[in-house]
Amino acid sequence: MNRLPKTLLLITLLAGLLPAQDLATVLKKGQAVYAATCTGYCHGESGAAGSAPRLSGRGFDQAYITGVVTRGVPGTSMPAFNSGISAADRAAVIAYVASLNGIVSPSLGAAVSSTPATAKLTGEAARGRALFYDATRSFGRCSTCHEVDGVGIPVAAPIAKIPADVAALRALATPNVLNVTVAGESMPALILSRKAQSVVFYDLTVAPPVLRTVAASDVRIGEASPWRHASAIASYKDSELSPILVWFQASRAAKN
Amino acid sequence: MTRWLLLILIATTAQAQTPLDGATRADWPHNGGQQSAWRYSALDQVNTSNVRGLAPAWLFQTGDYADNLQATPIVVDGVMYLISARAQVFALNAATGDVIWQYKYGEPRSGTPGTHADFILNRGVAVGGGKVIFGTKDSYLVALDQKTGREAWKVAVDDPRQCGCNLGAAPLIAGDKVIIGGNGGEIAHRGYLTAFHISNGRLAWRWYVIPGPGEKGNETWKGDSWKFGGGAPWMTGSFDADLNTVYWGTGNAASDFYDGDRSGDASKYPNLYTASIVALDADTGKLKWHYQEVPDDLWDFDSAYEVILMDRVVKGQPRRILAHMNKSGLTTVLDRVTGEHLGVFNVPEMSTWIAGVTEDGKLIGRKDPKPGTVVDVCPSSVGAKSSNAMAYSPQTGYLYIPTVETCNAISSTDLPPEEGKRYMNGGHPLKVAPGHSDASHIDAWDPVTGKRIWTVPYKYLLLSSMLATAGNLVFTGDPDGYFFALDARTGEKLWKFQTGAGNRGAAISYSVNGRQYVAETTGWQQGITGGFASNLFPDQSWRNGSTLVVFALPEATK
Repeated sequence: MNRLPKTLLLITLLAGLLPAQDLATVLKKGQAVYAATCTGYCHGESGAAGSAPRLSGRGFDQAYITGVVTRGVPGTSMPAFNSGISAADRAAVIAYVASLNGIVSPSLGAAVSSTPATAKLTGEAARGRALFYDATRSFGRCSTCHEVDGVGIPVAAPIAKIPADVAALRALATPNVLNVTVAGESMPALILSRKAQSVVFYDLTVAPPVLRTVAASDVRIGEASPWRHASAIASYKDSELSPILVWFQASRAAKN
Repeated sequence: MTRWLLLILIATTAQAQTPLDGATRADWPHNGGQQSAWRYSALDQVNTSNVRGLAPAWLFQTGDYADNLQATPIVVDGVMYLISARAQVFALNAATGDVIWQYKYGEPRSGTPGTHADFILNRGVAVGGGKVIFGTKDSYLVALDQKTGREAWKVAVDDPRQCGCNLGAAPLIAGDKVIIGGNGGEIAHRGYLTAFHISNGRLAWRWYVIPGPGEKGNETWKGDSWKFGGGAPWMTGSFDADLNTVYWGTGNAASDFYDGDRSGDASKYPNLYTASIVALDADTGKLKWHYQEVPDDLWDFDSAYEVILMDRVVKGQPRRILAHMNKSGLTTVLDRVTGEHLGVFNVPEMSTWIAGVTEDGKLIGRKDPKPGTVVDVCPSSVGAKSSNAMAYSPQTGYLYIPTVETCNAISSTDLPPEEGKRYMNGGHPLKVAPGHSDASHIDAWDPVTGKRIWTVPYKYLLLSSMLATAGNLVFTGDPDGYFFALDARTGEKLWKFQTGAGNRGAAISYSVNGRQYVAETTGWQQGITGGFASNLFPDQSWRNGSTLVVFALPEATK
């Protein structure tokens, strides 16, 4: 296992303005975030160069590091770490990289903020969330068509109304799914746009939905399709759909 | 130890058949030339006697200077289809470079930072069934109308925000289907291949590299490790229409440098079907057979690379075989009908990760990285060869292999997986192999005898694909910017041209109205392997770019 480098311990001792405990904890956390996120195919261990440039001993100041971490470097593989990472983790890794550049008492910012990032889901809600995104179901998972909290494919419109129970979830009415005919073949379709030139729709025949763009003259749009939401969620048992609804409710409650 | 060579060739019943023809002619229809991945053109207008007269005929600048231009162009009926790093697609008049249509993919959905979703690159389009098809950074597969460049269909293969994966490889056309693999070998992710119907984009099948519970092979994984065990087949496979079989190399097991969660014992938990060559039924995606090159991989030694299909006489018998190089440089020859192991040879000069390999391909004396230790092994995780493809010439019978000689000191960690996040578990600082003043060489190998025929050194890291032609020429480019031609029989350098930026792409050859062209994609990539190479030689500054350079003999001399 990695041990905290001696320099960090030294920095910890020298950083008189901050509670030593906080700084040491944050740098240790930052080092762990760095190891899990920045090393491997990009920057090397402890800021050594990997495929991406060296980060230690470059004379970077913390404002520069913060800017690059949050905005990325456009046109390169360095992404903007402004989503997919908690503010606390981001602040910790910035402090760690600052320490690699000789900054003895880096600003810790959100790394020691007392406000928790997001309330951790527990019990049924956590299970429901995991089931919603369950990769072992391949294209049978809910997130094949639904995006929630930024994760999932936004085929359907955002979930506005939470079904009352599992039966209602299975029996969900889908009046927007119409029967569309292309070159003599009928298919269930969710129409996104109808223009003079072309029609853009999702073909729901098999998951995953296929976004198709077809010349308007080649498409005939018919009545409501016999397609049913129940068929799309057939891989889930009632006992699995129930926690998904619990998660929806918990998530809604947390936002309100 | 510098080299082992152990090859046994077993004669079986000969099958009467027309030998597979993997050569291209006027067109360059698939990523590997033909679907057998030879990267060999039967055109010989440009040859050893006149190659010195080769000169630029036209250039094309994509204008997308994100980083690099790595894609293998496709040419069909005098039209070239080219994709840039950020998925701008161009249809060009292949004789003049004039734009016929262009398409620009929108801003991709952001993925989880620190994962493969960061990579800005695209290795090529596939053309078939009237469509031009490509994968995207945010894991969509997109099909354009071949005549107009308008979007025909688009389908989400995965969600980059969940999987940490993306699609960088060129898709493979197999009959009426298009098959795409994805990146994600260094991520807590379960790799797969997915096939779609070309006509309408509907799912045809998905094959998971790692079998699920109840499926054969799942028992080769400890506990739940199959869920995040990697294996992503991130390059392009091959297709034998006669056998209706798709061949693909799979990625390394995850985490890369620590196996405590998934194995700990290569014989008990080999982690199927990672680091393997697999043969799948093209219609159903069902596994026909497999051959695992590196059981319980601990060195990031993918098998994700080109699978070269050829028919050769082996021990007096004509056989349908394939040749495949693992990232370690171990190169395996199999019967492609049955999967029977026919031989193995080792291409890099410096190999220390194992003591050797038995005649039937078993690894001996593994140097396994373990947490708390630093294990110095060659080759490095950059590979003896990685995504840049070799070429095969039926004229000489040789494979042309760009080979890198580097080593790395692997220090492992034992962090647990978190879905869609980096799951590499270790550092691996790189160096040029001790005793090697040159970091690369281009070799010619006979896959049937397992013998190296010639070798040509190169100072830095060669990361471009090879092209072989019936003019007895082998073309490739280097990071310094030189695109050059070697004599396929001897390795003698016959011609070179400074293209102005590092070469990291793939050359092709084609003809329009009887004139042969040789095209090279140029523009170094400062990220991923290109970045490793650049950081090994900090006094060099290899230039990014995104320009296609097309050569031909002057009209009067052809």
